[in-house]
Amino acid sequence: MHWKTRQKMMKLLLGGVTFGFLAYQWFPMVIMAVLSFTDPEGGVTFPMRGVSLHWYREFWADSFIDDFKPPMYRSLMLAVMCSVTTATLALAAVQAMRSRFFGSNFFFYLILLGIMAPGILVGLGMAFVARILGIPLAWYTTTFAVHMVWTLPFGMLLLMAAFNRFDHKLEEAALTLGASRWTTFWRITFPLVLPGVIGAALFGFTLSYDEFARSLFATGSEQTLPLIVFAQVDRQLEPTLYALGTTTTVISLLMIGFFALLFHIVRRRSRSDVAITT
Amino acid sequence: MSAFRQRSSVSYLLALPAALWMIAGLIVPTLFIVWVSFWATRRFSLESPLGLMHYIKFYNTPVYQKLVIDTVLQTGLLMGITLVLGYCMAYFIVGKVRGEGRKILLILLLIIPFWTSALIRTIAWIPFLGVNGVINQSLIFLGLIDEPIGVFLYSRTGITMAQVSFYTLMATGPVVYVMRNIPPSLQQAAQCLKASPTRVFWRITVPLTIPGVLIGQMLVFLNVMADFATASAIGGNKFTYLGNLVLNLYESGQLSFASVIAVVLMLTMFAGVALLLRVVDIRRLGAL
Repeated sequence: MHWKTRQKMMKLLLGGVTFGFLAYQWFPMVIMAVLSFTDPEGGVTFPMRGVSLHWYREFWADSFIDDFKPPMYRSLMLAVMCSVTTATLALAAVQAMRSRFFGSNFFFYLILLGIMAPGILVGLGMAFVARILGIPLAWYTTTFAVHMVWTLPFGMLLLMAAFNRFDHKLEEAALTLGASRWTTFWRITFPLVLPGVIGAALFGFTLSYDEFARSLFATGSEQTLPLIVFAQVDRQLEPTLYALGTTTTVISLLMIGFFALLFHIVRRRSRSDVAITT
Repeated sequence: MSAFRQRSSVSYLLALPAALWMIAGLIVPTLFIVWVSFWATRRFSLESPLGLMHYIKFYNTPVYQKLVIDTVLQTGLLMGITLVLGYCMAYFIVGKVRGEGRKILLILLLIIPFWTSALIRTIAWIPFLGVNGVINQSLIFLGLIDEPIGVFLYSRTGITMAQVSFYTLMATGPVVYVMRNIPPSLQQAAQCLKASPTRVFWRITVPLTIPGVLIGQMLVFLNVMADFATASAIGGNKFTYLGNLVLNLYESGQLSFASVIAVVLMLTMFAGVALLLRVVDIRRLGAL
């Protein structure tokens, strides 16, 4: 066979694998969304019966899993807290690592460990810490602490990439022209890495909002949304769960869209700034 | 990445919050797990004598040791599947798709589910896998089977199918990242020197993407080893891996023994990571 035909077949095969996997990955979520609109008599699988908002009304009226609204509120609040804190601490950490201080390698691996540590163990350890030291478990203290362990490394890696990408002569120029380090950071460095900061905030938000394994043992009686969903799967599967799942997925997608928009605006602005100055 | 260097004292101040957070949220909890695992009582009390009681119990119970092997085998299976799928997809997206916009679209389609809830995605698999599920109905419709088959829900097949859809991204992402950074001039140079595309692939692309493959495989390894929610929701508590055992023991109040299993899980993961790093070092020597 000629190598060009072979290449074409290869491309077809690889394309098939890629699009096949994308369908495989998205299909269950789409089907769940479709099934969530089934009739009151409809079950948790096909054939779907009719179209209605019955299950959405059902879960909005808290007739299932006590009441999902406080947990959803807690999850959203926690996600916002993680988002802001991740962006701030990661920015400080990466700026610190630019001078190779004594122990900076160790510091880098210490943060990276947060990605590697299994969630269930981090949660278990936090439960022990709280019990032994007499700290009450709560979503805004212990759960917040373990979520950050998971989101901070992602924020740090993203920001390291952002810091590696821009032209460091810009900073040197500002310093040479007599700007203080403080001014240089806020007027030059920060705007340049702002897309990275937004990325870190996105990871902080979405990873915390959906986190389950780390929350499991570390959250007290005031549970977050993924925890009540898990409890409900253990008890009984109902289309209400699909309605809830579809709703939270839509919230996640909206958040991604929001951050993408922010990212886009910041990038356009920094580009037009460069255009003006040059 | 310097140019603008912080003075050391300022660096320490900037690094301090993150470092303290990781110590309080990760290092201290891990040490507490190790400490609790040596408590030689069934109660949860600070006055417990230290001893190997629960380790000996683990050593004497083959069922639990088999669980370690099951977990490692399941992880190995996932690593194999995601390696092949992930590499094919990365190669297609980076090497075969024309146009930056299309590449980014494909990457986004791949990554967006990672930002939604894994638990909800697990639930979304259930209507697919049941006896009357989508897969069975499609197979009947296609005439491949006459009766619904029960191999999907509450089975290892079902767990594996769901896990593949969750974790392939982790094997793909790093390879895409590394592949995009290979200068095209390398492949062009090889082609100018009359290397066949197959040869270019094996001698240029593969060796240069090994770091990405390694990072991806490590992420898959670490995540599947610790995954218990998928097995719990789809396996219906029939199948357990080490994570599920930790959960069950915690719920039944056997905290010391849960810690022993947690320590075993941690050690297995350390061993796996060390092994992965080793495998690649040897390969690298071969490539040079």
